[in-house]
Amino acid sequence: MMSINRDPCIQAESPFQKEIFVLQNLLRNQTFSAFESIEESGRSVKVYIFRRLFHSILVLVGISMVVFIILHLTGDPAALMMPMDATPEQVAQFRKEMGFTDPLPVQYWRFFKGTLRGDFGNSFRHSQPALSLVLERMPATIQLTFAALIIALMIAIPAGIVSAIRRNSILDHIGMTGALLGQSMPVFWLGIMLILIFSVTLRWFPSSGRGGIQHLILPAIALGMFSMARTARVMRSSMLEVLGQEYMTTAKAKGLAPPVVILKHALKNAAIPVVTVVGMELGTLLGGAVITETIFAWPGVGRLAIQAIYNRDYPVVQAAVFILASIFVLINLMVDLIYTYLDPRVRLG
Amino acid sequence: MKKGFLMLVILALVLFSFGPAFTATDKDTVVIVQGVDPTTMDPHNHMETPAWNLHIQLFDTLLRRDSNIKLDKLIAESYRIVNDKTWEFKIRKGVKFHNGEDCTAANFKFSLERMADPKNKLRQTAFQGVIENVEVLDDYTFRIHTKKPYPVMDAILAIYGQPLPLKYFQEKGPEHFASNPIGTGPYKFVRWVKDDYILLEANENYFRGAPKIKKVMFRPIPEATTRVAALQTQEADIVTNIPPHLAQMMDSKGRSFVSKAPSVRVIFMAFDTTKPGPQADKRVRQAIAMGVNMETNIKKILDGNGIRLGSPLTEKHFGYDPSVKPYDYNPEKAKQLLAEAGYPNGFDFVINSPTGRYLNDKEMAEAVAGDLGKIGIRATVKTFEWGHYMNTMMYGHNASPAYILGWGNTSFDADFTINPLMRTGLLLSNVSFPKLDALIDEGISTMDPKKRLKIYSDAAKVIKDEVPWAWAYQQMDIYGVSERLNWKARTDELMVVFDMSFKK
Repeated sequence: MMSINRDPCIQAESPFQKEIFVLQNLLRNQTFSAFESIEESGRSVKVYIFRRLFHSILVLVGISMVVFIILHLTGDPAALMMPMDATPEQVAQFRKEMGFTDPLPVQYWRFFKGTLRGDFGNSFRHSQPALSLVLERMPATIQLTFAALIIALMIAIPAGIVSAIRRNSILDHIGMTGALLGQSMPVFWLGIMLILIFSVTLRWFPSSGRGGIQHLILPAIALGMFSMARTARVMRSSMLEVLGQEYMTTAKAKGLAPPVVILKHALKNAAIPVVTVVGMELGTLLGGAVITETIFAWPGVGRLAIQAIYNRDYPVVQAAVFILASIFVLINLMVDLIYTYLDPRVRLG
Repeated sequence: MKKGFLMLVILALVLFSFGPAFTATDKDTVVIVQGVDPTTMDPHNHMETPAWNLHIQLFDTLLRRDSNIKLDKLIAESYRIVNDKTWEFKIRKGVKFHNGEDCTAANFKFSLERMADPKNKLRQTAFQGVIENVEVLDDYTFRIHTKKPYPVMDAILAIYGQPLPLKYFQEKGPEHFASNPIGTGPYKFVRWVKDDYILLEANENYFRGAPKIKKVMFRPIPEATTRVAALQTQEADIVTNIPPHLAQMMDSKGRSFVSKAPSVRVIFMAFDTTKPGPQADKRVRQAIAMGVNMETNIKKILDGNGIRLGSPLTEKHFGYDPSVKPYDYNPEKAKQLLAEAGYPNGFDFVINSPTGRYLNDKEMAEAVAGDLGKIGIRATVKTFEWGHYMNTMMYGHNASPAYILGWGNTSFDADFTINPLMRTGLLLSNVSFPKLDALIDEGISTMDPKKRLKIYSDAAKVIKDEVPWAWAYQQMDIYGVSERLNWKARTDELMVVFDMSFKK
C-alpha cells in the first residue's frame, strides 16, 4: 500500500529506486547526499539532452539526404522552367548553369555545405532565396498550426475527461463517436464541407485566405479535427487508468470534492501521455497544414512546398522540408524534456 | 490546471486576433482569383498565364490583341516593315511610367535588348537569336534589326517586350524590380502579400484615360471548389479554371454566371513516327484518326467543353485554313486501312498521357484507347506526373508510339505551333516530313502575309495527309463571373481589367 503523503507518480513497486531516491532528496533538499544527487541528476539531464540533440542532428542529416535523393530522382526542373519550345542547346545550357549535370554526390555536398550556412540557394522560379520564401510564410503556418492545436485541446481535454468520468453514459458515447468520426474524416473532405456549410450556405465565415479571426476558424477546425479526436481518446483512456488507481480512492475517502480529485489529483498524472501525444500532434498538424493550406488558400509554408514540388523547385522544397522537420525535431526534444519533468523516471531510461 | 486552461484561452484569443483585417470586396475593387500566385513582377522573366494576367494591368506593350484577338496598336502609333530584317516603330508621345519617367524609344531599346541577351537568363527567350539590335532614330522612333527575316515580329510584340523604366530599373536593380514593379499600364502596383493577395490601384494619368474600376485585387486559390465558393460568397468577381461539373453550380443562385471561351490551348494526340512500329506507317495513323470518335468523347468526357480541330491551329490563328476538316469517324474504313497496312488482327499500342495537367486528360486517353479497341488495336494508357512527363518523355523523345500533349500558342501565328512541334529534329518534334519542313522554313522566312497564308494552307493539307496527330481539340476555358461585373471571357486567357466595368 502506498503512503498518502507521497507523490503519486512515484510508486513503491517502481523498479526505478535510484531515481525515486534522487527525487526524494531533491524535494526535501536536506542532506549532503541530496546535493550529490542534484549534481548527479544535473549531469544525467545534460547527458540526456546532449544525446537527444545528437540524435536530432542525425535525424536532420538523414532527412536532408532523403529529400535530396527523392527530389533528384524525379528529374530536374529544366522542362518546367524553360519555354516549351526552347532549343535543345538552351535546355542543355540551362542544365549546365544550374549545376544539374554534376554527379549527384557533388550536388548533395554543395547543398549540404550551403545548409550549414543557412543558404538553401535561390528559388528557380521566384527570384529570391529559398529560405526567405519559407521564412516569410512561416508565421502563417505557425498561426494556423497553433490555432488548430488550441481548438483541438480546448475540446479534446474536457471531452476526454467527461467521457472518462461518465464512462458508458450517453455523453461518453457521443464524445467517442465524435472522436471516431473526427479521426476518420479526411482533411480535404472536411475542409470542403466546412466551406460549403459555413461559408457558402450560412455565410458565417469567409471561404479562404488569411485575415482576421474569421479567416482562421474554419481552417483551424479542419486541421485540428484529427488531433482533437486522437487527443480526446488518449485523454479518456489515460484518465480511466488513473481513476482506477488506489490513491484516487484514498483522495475521495479523504472527503475531497470531486472537482478537486479530478482536476488536482487525477489530471496531472493522466496528462503525461497526453503531453507526448500533443507533441506528436504538432508534427501531424505541421504536415497536415499542407493540405489545409491548399484547400483554404492559406498563405503558408505547406502551400509553398506543394507548388515547389510541382515545379521541381528543389531549393524551396529542401528549405521547406528542412525547416518543418527541424521544428518537428525541436518539438519532440522539448516534449521529451517536459516529460522528464513530469515523469523523472524517463531521464536515465 | 485551471491556470493552464486559462493560459490556453488567452493564447487562443491572442492567436485568433492576430493578422491583418479582413479585406472584403468593396464597390471599387474587382477581385480576380487564379489558381496560383505569379512568381515574379518582372514582365520579362516568366512564362505563366497567371503572371501575364497581372502584368497586362501594370505594363503595356507596343501592340495588343483586342477582345476578338485582332492585332491593334497600344504604345505604338504606327509601324512598318522597312526591309526583310528591319521593323520600324513610331510610339505615342506623352506615355509615362507610374513614377513619372517618360516612355521613349530608349526604354524599348533597353527592354528589347535585355530580352535578346541570353546572359540575362530570362525565362522569355522569344527574342534570343532573333534581335540583332535596336536602333533609336529619335525619342519616339526606333528600328528593330533582326538576324533573319522575322515575319511574326508584330504578333510577338503584342505579348512580349514591355518597356521598363530605365532610371528606376538601373538604380534599383532587377531583384528589387521583381517585387516592386513600375510600368506604363492602367494600374499601379500597391502591395504584394505572397500567396495571399496582390493589390493594384488605378493609374489616373493613363494615356488611354483613367480606368473605370479603381482597384484590382488578385488572389490565388489553388483548389477549384474553394474558388467557386469564393465566387458564391461574393468574395471574388472572376474565378478562373472552373471544372465543368462545378460550372453547373454557378448559375444556381443568380449571384454569378459562367463565361466560356474556346481556349488558345490545343490538346492533341501525337505520334512518334521516327521510331519503328505500326505508327510509322501513314495508313495506320490515318486508321487511328478515323477510328476514334472524338465528337462523342468531347461530349462525354469534357461535357461538350471542347471544339474539334482539323489542323493544329484554331480559327483565331494566322494561317488557319477552314477548308481542312478533321477525319470523319469511320471504324470500317479504319479496319480496312489497318488490313492494308498488314495489321488485319490489330496490334498492341500504348498511349502516354499526363494526368491532371489538362481537363480530364487521363479519362480522354482511356476513352481513346476504348475506341481503338473497337478497330482491333489493343491500346493501353500510361499516365505520368507532369514534370516527369516533360523531362523524361517529351524532352527525352521517349513517348513513342503516341502521346497526349497541349499547346497554347498565344502569338496566334501558325509558325509557333507547327514549327516547334512538327519540324524535323526539334525538341518537341517526333515526326519527320521533308515536304512539311520545307513549308515551315518558307513560312518563317517570308515577309508577305498573303504568301504566308498560302504556305500554311498547303502545310495544313500535308498535315492532314501525313497525320502527325490523330486528333486535336480546343479546350474551353470556363470562368465564373460575379453578376455585378461587365466582362466576357477571351480566347487568349487574359483578363484585361481596363476593359471591365461594374454594372450600375
